[in-house]
Amino acid sequence: MTSPEPSPTLSLSGVAFDGRSSRDRAATLDVSGDVAVLRVEGGESRWPLAGVRIEPPVPGVRRVLKFPDGSRFETGDDAGVTRLEARTGRNRALGGVRRLEARWWTALGALALTLAFAWAFVVFGIPALARTAATATPRPVLATFDRETIQFLEGQGYLAPSRLSAARQRQLQAEFRRVTAWAGGSYPYRLLLRDGEPGDAPFQIGANAFALPNGTVVMTDQLVALSRSDRELLGVLAHETGHVTGRHGLAGVYQGLGLTLLSVAVTGDLISAGTFAAAVPAALLRNGYSRAAETQADETAGRYLMRAYGTTKPLRDILARLEEDDREADENSVHESSRTEDLLQTHPGTAGRIRHLREIEARGR
Amino acid sequence: MTDAPPTVPPGRHEQARPVPAGGEAGLVPAPTVTTYPMTFTGQAGEYFRIWIVNSALTIVTLGLYLPWARVRQRQYFYGHTWVDGHNFEYTANPLALLRGYLVVGALFLAYSLALNVQFRGWEYVAGVIGLAYVVLYPWLVMKSLRFLAVSTTHRGLRFRHYGKAGGAYAAYGLANLASGLTAGLALPWAWFMQRRYQVENAAYGDARATFRGDVGHFYVIGLTGLAVAIGGGVLLGVGGFLLVALLTGVLDSLGGDVLNGPISTATLVMIGALYLAFLALYAVAWQYVRAATMRSVLNGVEIGGVVRTGATFSPWRLVWIGVSNTAAQVLTLGLATPWAAVRRARYVVSGVQVRAITPLDDFAASQAPPENALGEAATELLDINLGF
Repeated sequence: MTSPEPSPTLSLSGVAFDGRSSRDRAATLDVSGDVAVLRVEGGESRWPLAGVRIEPPVPGVRRVLKFPDGSRFETGDDAGVTRLEARTGRNRALGGVRRLEARWWTALGALALTLAFAWAFVVFGIPALARTAATATPRPVLATFDRETIQFLEGQGYLAPSRLSAARQRQLQAEFRRVTAWAGGSYPYRLLLRDGEPGDAPFQIGANAFALPNGTVVMTDQLVALSRSDRELLGVLAHETGHVTGRHGLAGVYQGLGLTLLSVAVTGDLISAGTFAAAVPAALLRNGYSRAAETQADETAGRYLMRAYGTTKPLRDILARLEEDDREADENSVHESSRTEDLLQTHPGTAGRIRHLREIEARGR
Repeated sequence: MTDAPPTVPPGRHEQARPVPAGGEAGLVPAPTVTTYPMTFTGQAGEYFRIWIVNSALTIVTLGLYLPWARVRQRQYFYGHTWVDGHNFEYTANPLALLRGYLVVGALFLAYSLALNVQFRGWEYVAGVIGLAYVVLYPWLVMKSLRFLAVSTTHRGLRFRHYGKAGGAYAAYGLANLASGLTAGLALPWAWFMQRRYQVENAAYGDARATFRGDVGHFYVIGLTGLAVAIGGGVLLGVGGFLLVALLTGVLDSLGGDVLNGPISTATLVMIGALYLAFLALYAVAWQYVRAATMRSVLNGVEIGGVVRTGATFSPWRLVWIGVSNTAAQVLTLGLATPWAAVRRARYVVSGVQVRAITPLDDFAASQAPPENALGEAATELLDINLGF
């Protein structure tokens, strides 16, 4: 309605309630100029149009107009109320929403938009946010994290003092300092050599090495025993420093938090069966992020090995031996795993990692 | 039909309405009871479009539109619920809800960060927020009930809730504490206290509601739920054990070392299936309790001494709808949510009747003061279970 002349009288019929009783009365509402006149049997009331509230439209539901004295007028004449809205410029935003809701193609557009946003947020948004948050996290927090984790692992009996000789330990510490000097980042690096299979542990860590956010790297005697040269161990240690400088540990925590908040947003509440159901996809996604971090740390280790020895073979060999749990194995003993198995793992398939390290070597030559 | 028999002959659907010669006419020997069926006219396709458009807007606005989306979705369900030719209206102000959401969301974010990041002093932050939640829980429920009631309009009159903090702390604090201390023995009693608190304080216009339910009924419901859970659990356990034994036997005969090797795919699948089965069992028992409670409560509500609500829907049918809805939602990655909501609402609403001895246009109301939306935001975001 954009006619410049005085707008014609708009007449709507429906029911009215006075707001003080539940009695419905047949009524008509006439709007001309700036005045709305509500007529019910036995009386009429006049209101300045500015004081009349037009409730936003809800599909399939009677339109409601409310008056300052608490009375209301309800009508099925949606077209008439829509004309009134256009004339007075009311409910522009929600009227627009209603037009989006009215058609299938806009609804499908909204669906595509929702899926695209969800996908982009999971693939790019959460990792980027987590990385930013991890980089911004102050060092004292990292130190607390390291201290608490080690206290937990030792207190629960997962780790026991190393059985390696003092001389061997000194030698590994000296080699570790060479790697950390190369890795940089001014973290208070320290290498903890520990026995990963104490007799009374509820769960055997076994041959393993891992890094904590503030530069604490734990390597077990079992891993040392599995290696056939210290080059292999240095490859592993360089990989762990990659986790430290990339702040992967903390980013993982933030990613978990982000996924929790996301599943809350999707399922609509914090504690419900829906949240439990969302836990499985969330765990799969978390493993996906973790695999990306592993690939990045392998990249760091590859760079170190190429610089120090001109080959990434030592890390490839010990990865193969870890996979096969066999001291005689080497990189050629590993077979490709299936894609579903990869999905369930926090590390990329060993075969894939070995292939990646070979590529780094080929690039370095 | 387990409706408590009314003291007067029950009315028929669409019986000719009595013509009141003055609604408050004193002693009529045998008032005529008229039954008004409730109907739901929402359509799954229409609601899907509303749902997806509002979800997309919420995402695009980084969540700021969420209160408008919630209000719109609720308005759809209220607006399509009809009694005697008139529908309900949800009138909550989205801006008020947004304030509540921001407060609750900020507190929840601080709590999650404290637990996950453990910055300096995190114990105090998490402790204070956690304690505040526990201590304020009944108060939040009360605020939520008051907000929900005053945001509901029918025939131009608002519902009201006159609940006081004292009653809320008795029903939602002491009663829950008692059921915890008695290892669940007092749980049905707690449900009873909570429903009674909800109903007895409710009002339509100036007409107060009364609750005619009794605690025995809640114990029957609780015991039925427990029996379902235990019986189903035993069946599942025996079945699962037999299946594992069978499979292990088959694999052993094939020469594989299932138990010594790393966890095999078959074992993983089996553990997953058992986990899902127990989850489903829990859901069935719990949904039965919720559905039966809702039916029992609806059969016990009386408003102003002239109107009673009755429910004829079957709790088991509602359990089936709940379970199949969840399955459909999971399989469609949530896209079936609007269809599921409409399906459930249609079944529940079409199984509810209002029986009245006066015409429904005979209620009156004085002005109601506004309520703030903090409690509503908390119950929405934190999934505090109000039971309806």
